[in-house]
Amino acid sequence: MFLITEQQGVLGLIATEFLLELKSILRDSQIQVEENESHPLGNSGRVTVYPQTEEEIANVLKYADNGGKKVTIVGGGTKRGFGGLTECADILLSLADYKGVVEHTVGDMTLTVKSGTPFQQLQEYLAQYNQTIALDPAWPEYATIGGVIAANDSGPKRFRYGSARDSVIGMRVVYPNGTIIRSGGKVVKNVAGYDMNKLFIGSMGTLGVIAEVTLKLRPLPKYESLILLSFPEGNIEEIRAFAVRLLDSMMEPTSLELLSPSLSERLTGKRTYTLAIGFEDVESSVHYQEDFVKRIQPSKTSMAILPLKEARVFWQQFYTIGPNGRQSGDGQEIEAALKIGVVNLDVLQVIKESHILQEAANVAIEAHGGLGHGLCQVYVKGTGEDVVAVIERFRQFVTPLGGYVIVKHLPFALRQKVDVWGEKPSYFFLLEGIKAKIDPNHTLNHRRFVGGI
Amino acid sequence: MAVKDVQIKDKHIENLAKIVGGAQSILYKKEDLLAYDCDGFTIHRHLPKAVVFPKSTEEVAQIVKYCHENDLPFLARGAGTGLSGGAIPLNGEVVISLTKMKRLLSVDLENRRAVVEPGFVNLKLTHSISDKGYYYAPDPSSQYCCTIGGNVAENAGGAHCLKYGVTTNHILGMEVVLPNGEIIEISTNGVLDPPGYDLLGLLTGSEGTLGIVTKITVRILKNPEAKQTVLAYFDKVSDASQAVSDIISAGIVPAALEMMDKTAIEGVEAAAFPVGHPKDIEALLLIEVDGISAGIDEQIDEILKVCRRRNVREVKVAQDEKERERWWANRKTGFGAMGAISPDYLVQDGVIPRSKLPEVLERIKQISEKYGLRIANIFHAGDGNLHPLVLFDARKPGETEKALAAGSECLQVCADVGGSITGEHGVGIEKREEMRFIFTDEEIIAQTNIRDVFNPKNLLNAGKLFPTPGRCVEVKRNEKTK
Repeated sequence: MFLITEQQGVLGLIATEFLLELKSILRDSQIQVEENESHPLGNSGRVTVYPQTEEEIANVLKYADNGGKKVTIVGGGTKRGFGGLTECADILLSLADYKGVVEHTVGDMTLTVKSGTPFQQLQEYLAQYNQTIALDPAWPEYATIGGVIAANDSGPKRFRYGSARDSVIGMRVVYPNGTIIRSGGKVVKNVAGYDMNKLFIGSMGTLGVIAEVTLKLRPLPKYESLILLSFPEGNIEEIRAFAVRLLDSMMEPTSLELLSPSLSERLTGKRTYTLAIGFEDVESSVHYQEDFVKRIQPSKTSMAILPLKEARVFWQQFYTIGPNGRQSGDGQEIEAALKIGVVNLDVLQVIKESHILQEAANVAIEAHGGLGHGLCQVYVKGTGEDVVAVIERFRQFVTPLGGYVIVKHLPFALRQKVDVWGEKPSYFFLLEGIKAKIDPNHTLNHRRFVGGI
Repeated sequence: MAVKDVQIKDKHIENLAKIVGGAQSILYKKEDLLAYDCDGFTIHRHLPKAVVFPKSTEEVAQIVKYCHENDLPFLARGAGTGLSGGAIPLNGEVVISLTKMKRLLSVDLENRRAVVEPGFVNLKLTHSISDKGYYYAPDPSSQYCCTIGGNVAENAGGAHCLKYGVTTNHILGMEVVLPNGEIIEISTNGVLDPPGYDLLGLLTGSEGTLGIVTKITVRILKNPEAKQTVLAYFDKVSDASQAVSDIISAGIVPAALEMMDKTAIEGVEAAAFPVGHPKDIEALLLIEVDGISAGIDEQIDEILKVCRRRNVREVKVAQDEKERERWWANRKTGFGAMGAISPDYLVQDGVIPRSKLPEVLERIKQISEKYGLRIANIFHAGDGNLHPLVLFDARKPGETEKALAAGSECLQVCADVGGSITGEHGVGIEKREEMRFIFTDEEIIAQTNIRDVFNPKNLLNAGKLFPTPGRCVEVKRNEKTK
């Protein structure tokens, strides 16, 4: 007891000096001292700062980088459980107050926005102009555009529209030494210099703080619908044959997502493997494609077509099925979210395996994966021990398929037992080299990424 | 086969010849090297030390390792169609020609991917899979001869990238020989988002300065069900520009949206694929939409309406595939066609926000008047990618310099309105200095720092992509390396 008290005393002293220094950079109202430095999901900070300008971001980073302080970056906090072996950094840099549209050139269909802007807020703003950002990340109400890009989050519609790397055309990034680096630009086509945008997308905040993002927009689809095709027999080969036939046709689905029976039960009420096939286009084209699917519908399957609004309601619910890092995560049950990447059609195997494991491993598993892009999201609930065992089982399962498992959400304590990024790639020295050039002092999101970068 | 039969005096050439299996796979005599002293950018020329023709990744790796250990500058070359000088051996490089590594290694239609060697020709991929109804989307105008390896190096675009994206949007994996000879594989099975920084994205478009790609996994697409092409003639450039904006604002994403101005039309009509465009119009638009048949007519109607609202003189829809192909041949050979009306021409490659089109075209006209040189405009109007073609006569003293200055000024205009100095041709040698129009010294150093991670000795394709360091840049670099 005595020892702990003394430590707290020492920390308190450091904090005073540290606070004074931060107060020379920011106003008092932008600095919040955290009473409880530990959080079940980790990635917290002794002090949370809320910069409102790029200059303030740069000054905080410069101060931290010069003074050997560690900085963790947070947007909406939905990915707080995603990676990270630091329970509490010196500074938690929140971008919650760095938000808003900087420039929207309607005719050019480009948008420049501050990174702390919540994703859904942007989509609602753009909808007034019949435009949209062609990304469908989880928890859009809370997730910020900066966080979506830094963690490279994508959803089922990636099949048609691609991911952040296909939408982002420019960025302003604050390097740990306070330098502002612009990458890309404001035009939709650009090959001047290295494509540095790509470096920051998915870098988990380990290279710089994304301050501003310029995106290329798409017109909002004039009509959409969603076909839910259920396979009560549960025959994976039959699902595969259907998917291959659809993929080999000239139809243009926006999503071709397979739901595990457990997830399907939650979303559709039917405990069967279900394909969520989305179409977005002018109305005549969408109906034409629906008709095609009806024509090739396998026997013994059942089909529901959700038009327009119903489709949107389905997707809204869909984007909130996984764990949300904003919730404390200290419940009785351990929640984990996995991103599993495999060759497209191997998604069938992964979703089937998730169904088998759920029966065998004393955990609850809900899973879905895109047959046109090869990415699965798997949500596991159970005791810590069982969850860890299941993650291991998935790794054993996908390694021979040439795939990977990334743990996107897990409580801090368990992240120390499971390597959330899996094995280092053979070219890890290049990743390390890039980190060393940009953040030599490991100031930013220390140990948040692959191989402890 | 045996190297000893040949009199090679240079020990490096002798050793390199051994790696590639003999004298038939290496060029080193001056008369043989002449063909490799430049690429599609012909204003700078320099002879390479030698040209080697490896047949496998292992041979590439050994060549690179040898160069690395012996401090020999080297670079990779595909078909040599690059327009910015990226494959010019400025420093007397050993040129590693990848034209013998030209196999299609595998096609997986179900998972929509193919694996090719770097020397595989772009259009051949589409030809190999078109009977099954699939194609490879990036379509640079030189696609009948340019290689996919070169496309990766330059992040090549093309007329149809408005809807389908450029090369980087279609690369799923690659095998790379790093500048020290080490071989790495990044997601060669095509699995998306491999954990780690996005090296695929970084390598694509790095203009051969970070590594040599020896295997490429690309995404292939199913052919669109329907395709319609529209040709529209305008009396005023401003009406044509406005029509471009209106089409996009109507929520249509055309597969391609191309524009040519009067001078350009004069050129293409005098060249090999004339279509019979009227000579007195100021601009034409070539518009293509594709997708589900049931939705196409609606889009075509909308496009016709927009054109009429913008005072189009004549607008027509291609009646069959033959007519469509004629229109495209006329457009795709547009650069070369300038040879029919001018002894020499210089292609530029600026990008602007679409909405600035009328303003920028006006300023290009002023530049043309200022230098007394004609400038033809052929461009991807839909994505704001301009190709001003400066027409000149190199035989007249001083005219080459004038053309270069006019081209550079066009890029300055693009940069001034918030655009870029290159949309698809790359920086290469040509636009090194123009990098300063859009990037600060610090931003350029941020990029060369990345190069140093991959290519610390800077033996691989040195002198490309970045401006010659100014004084202040050098000082800063020295500080950084301390």
